[in-house]
Amino acid sequence: MSYNNYEDLSRNEIIDLLRQWRDNNERKGEEVLTLFDTIIPVFNKLGSEKYLILEQVIYAALDCHYYETAMWWIMLLNMEFPGSLRVMRYKAACLEAEEKYDEALEILDNIIKSDETNAAARKRRICILKAQGLITDAIKELVDYLKKFMSDMEAWQELSELYLQVQEYSKAAFCAEELILHQPHNHLMHQRLADIRYTMGGMENMELAKSYYCQAIKLNPDNTRALLGLFLVTNALVGQYKSAGGAKRSEAWRLSQWAQRSAAPDLAAAMLTLAITD
Amino acid sequence: MGEVSLETSAYAKIILHAAKYPHCAVNGVLLADGSKVKSGNKNQELDIVDSIPLFHHSHYVSPMAEIALTQIELQAQSDNRVIAGYYAACENFRDNTVEKCPGQKIAEKIVEYFPSAVFIVVDNKRMVQHLDTPAIKIHKYSEGKWKPKDANKVLFQTPYVLETVSHLLQRRVQKDLVDFDNYLDDSTQDWSNLGIEKLIASINASNTIEKEKDSE
Repeated sequence: MSYNNYEDLSRNEIIDLLRQWRDNNERKGEEVLTLFDTIIPVFNKLGSEKYLILEQVIYAALDCHYYETAMWWIMLLNMEFPGSLRVMRYKAACLEAEEKYDEALEILDNIIKSDETNAAARKRRICILKAQGLITDAIKELVDYLKKFMSDMEAWQELSELYLQVQEYSKAAFCAEELILHQPHNHLMHQRLADIRYTMGGMENMELAKSYYCQAIKLNPDNTRALLGLFLVTNALVGQYKSAGGAKRSEAWRLSQWAQRSAAPDLAAAMLTLAITD
Repeated sequence: MGEVSLETSAYAKIILHAAKYPHCAVNGVLLADGSKVKSGNKNQELDIVDSIPLFHHSHYVSPMAEIALTQIELQAQSDNRVIAGYYAACENFRDNTVEKCPGQKIAEKIVEYFPSAVFIVVDNKRMVQHLDTPAIKIHKYSEGKWKPKDANKVLFQTPYVLETVSHLLQRRVQKDLVDFDNYLDDSTQDWSNLGIEKLIASINASNTIEKEKDSE
């Protein structure tokens, strides 16, 4: 966020910045294209990194609907690497951006035919379904994909979100559990599952949400969403366990008090209005 | 049917929010002046004075929406404003109907408390850097459904609204817009977007001076 003055950056800093965006999957199409213009003079001295930057520029151009710019670089790459599946994928991406879905699918199918393990091409097929608004078809294809590529975190995450869109909460929760198995130390995964459980509602889900929010906060005490979620869920639990003095009720009560104390002042004010007074 | 009009900053924040996250669905709530609305009246005139950008991800889980709405209500009460509507833009470029929008439950909840509430859908296809149409569709709730109001008629309270917002888009002011998701990531950020409001006020002021000069 703090890079507003691109003019002050040296070429090396720009190259570092582009690399940083690539590593973090940041989608800054316009910025990438602006920065790219300034490093063109030194471009050929970059070695193999130049191809990575070109890939970044192609996708940036597609994001900004500069199809001709993208096609130009794709053609150059094609001359350098004829028959490369990766370059074919750029072509498919370009067609996809222009909404020529059938032609894009044809290329993707060819890629898959010559390399069955090409996960990226298979995932683009699913994206095309999603772009056409065919969510249930996208889910079906993504489930098939995950049978073959079970360790693809990104795909599990996408499937979880698609299930949420069609309000299949328990299936979305299953995907979120799968994500926790893959990354047990990532606080966001725990928070995500807790959010889903909370949305599902009911005592059992609330208890589960409580545990996952606690774990998320344990892994990252600065996770504001988890802290707020813990407050909401314990509050709801205190309201539902009517018999005062029950062990579960007093635990929920303690956690809700703790969450309120830990929150930033302005959030604590919102919590107070929601809070059940004992 | 009562007319619906928008203040520049309310409209600007809707458009800027959609522009900041072109690849995401976005949503937010609309506020009206509490001293001007009559409670329970279904067909009153409505002036949307402000909008609060909410989320650009995790639209289908509820906890953060509950927190956000509580906090907005607190803030609105102290400013004597009421939550008078909901806006959303769809993730998919081609989708611009209420049914495809996220957070319809939120919108229905708002109607429960404020019967003359409006639902604004951003018309993705009309969103351009030089706005020649407002690029939004206003819906009113009647008989359990969101029904579109006259599509070509979006009323603004001040002149040059489209020019002002186009200007903001070209200056990339959307980068400085803060939604509730940004705030939850970093609690030092200001989700009421006072900076943008001030900027718009100053543009409006200079517009008024220009207009007076022209009429002289």
